[in-house]
Amino acid sequence: MTENTTVQAALVVDHVSHVYGSGPSAHHAISDLAFSVQPGEFVSIVGPSGAGKTTLLRTLAGLLKPSEGAVIVDGNRITGVPPGMAMVFQDYSRSLLPWLTIEKNVGFPLEGKKVTKAEKKAIIQESLEAVGLGGFAKRYPWQLSGGMQQRVAIARALAYRPSLLLMDEPFASVDAQTREGLEDLVLKIRDTYGMTILFVTHDIDESVYLANRVLVLSRPPARLAEDIVVNLREPRDQITTREDPEFIRLRGHVARLIHSGGKPE
Amino acid sequence: MTDTSTRALAAQATRATTTRPRWRRALVSIAYFVIPIAVVIGIWQLVTMLNPPAPFFPQPFAIIANLWDLMFGSPKAVQQVFYGEFLQTVGRMALGFAIGAVWGVVVGTIMGLWRGARETINPIVEFLRSIPATATLPLFIILLGGGNDMRVVFIAYGVSWFVLINTSVGVGSVHKTLLDVGKVFRISLARRLFRIVLPGAMPKIFAGLRIASTAALLLAIVSEFMLATDGVGYMLVQAQGRFQLLNMWSWMLALAILGLIINTLLEWIEGRILGWHRQSKSRA
Repeated sequence: MTENTTVQAALVVDHVSHVYGSGPSAHHAISDLAFSVQPGEFVSIVGPSGAGKTTLLRTLAGLLKPSEGAVIVDGNRITGVPPGMAMVFQDYSRSLLPWLTIEKNVGFPLEGKKVTKAEKKAIIQESLEAVGLGGFAKRYPWQLSGGMQQRVAIARALAYRPSLLLMDEPFASVDAQTREGLEDLVLKIRDTYGMTILFVTHDIDESVYLANRVLVLSRPPARLAEDIVVNLREPRDQITTREDPEFIRLRGHVARLIHSGGKPE
Repeated sequence: MTDTSTRALAAQATRATTTRPRWRRALVSIAYFVIPIAVVIGIWQLVTMLNPPAPFFPQPFAIIANLWDLMFGSPKAVQQVFYGEFLQTVGRMALGFAIGAVWGVVVGTIMGLWRGARETINPIVEFLRSIPATATLPLFIILLGGGNDMRVVFIAYGVSWFVLINTSVGVGSVHKTLLDVGKVFRISLARRLFRIVLPGAMPKIFAGLRIASTAALLLAIVSEFMLATDGVGYMLVQAQGRFQLLNMWSWMLALAILGLIINTLLEWIEGRILGWHRQSKSRA
């Protein structure tokens, strides 16, 4: 699947399989998955629930060793968590440290890194402002609403200055309006920081709205059902993009794929 | 986002207008504490005054007066004895508590982090802690003699279980996502331990420390009942043997005050360290 590209891919998933357990009770979560992501691309990953999306993301993050195949980030086969990669977790209430203030949470990825105090302070402030929480530095996570907590988690990822950002169903547990705001925030951040984003979601509309490419996974063991290029007008807009016939066609196509369990019609 | 912050501000405003000033709240909480005690002392005082021959139950005012005399009265030599014995007990209690707490946190952390260690150590822990700590005193005397070292080790041993078990549970219950956060941002192992695992386990560890502090005082006194030549436990046994009931009661009163001081101190430290925990829980 590593096409004849001139630019080095930001991420290559080289025939990755993952099996939990062994013997007759073994669960094949991912089977021979292969794709690559170019620098600056926004790639959504959707699939039926239980399709091994989280397993895939944890494998890409280096938190899980694949049973077979390899993950290559910036040309290097990873053996653990690669540098320059950040992650936003689904469960914001458990991914922030409740004993630290917002600013200390955001500065947490810089712990033990070679950054001066002044630099750290500037990075924290900039990251918080990027997500619209400049005035909340001294608060604690549990004093904020769910959507704001997830903004903090995004700010924390930004403070790490990643070139690759993995997002694991980050907006699954916020209300619809908050979700739209957060989607546009992610697009804005992608434009400002120019990073590669891999966005796992179970929301079909969201996957199409955000991405340049949608990877549809099949039922487990997850295979790549289809790799769909999204050519919607930029910048995306919550109202006009969703009215665009191409958007409607794409979301219908993705929905059919998922409902059929990832088999082409 | 804006509506939540305005709502929070509104809530703060209503809270500010409905709550009483701080000193009044403090006064009320003191009253809640003092009044029941005053009632019990009052009844006791009345009963002992109505029935003069009650040698085992001196009048409470007499006990208080006697303790006052021991602490602040003359002669100086009596005062020195009081503080000398008292500090002996406090010293071995504090040292035993500290050693037991550190040991408990270290072993509990190892057990909480590694399933293999937990499964190996757990049966031993369950067995040993089932033996009442006080019942092991004769063994400690045989092994370590009747000196101060033995008492400190004995206290540390008895205290460690509470801290160990709570730490193990606390460390084990730190959410997996938090551990992943540490790994994803490539935080070193030591930093992950001290900045994620231990703070996350701190509410549980502190609960263990609270029980342990009570146990430490208990074990210190019990250890001074056998083969001791000093300490409050020793003084209690002496007073009882000589039928100095007023002194016996005074030492007991002094211990009650010590216990209260320790508890208040720990509560204060807990409020400082675990303020986030209490507040986040009250919101959930």
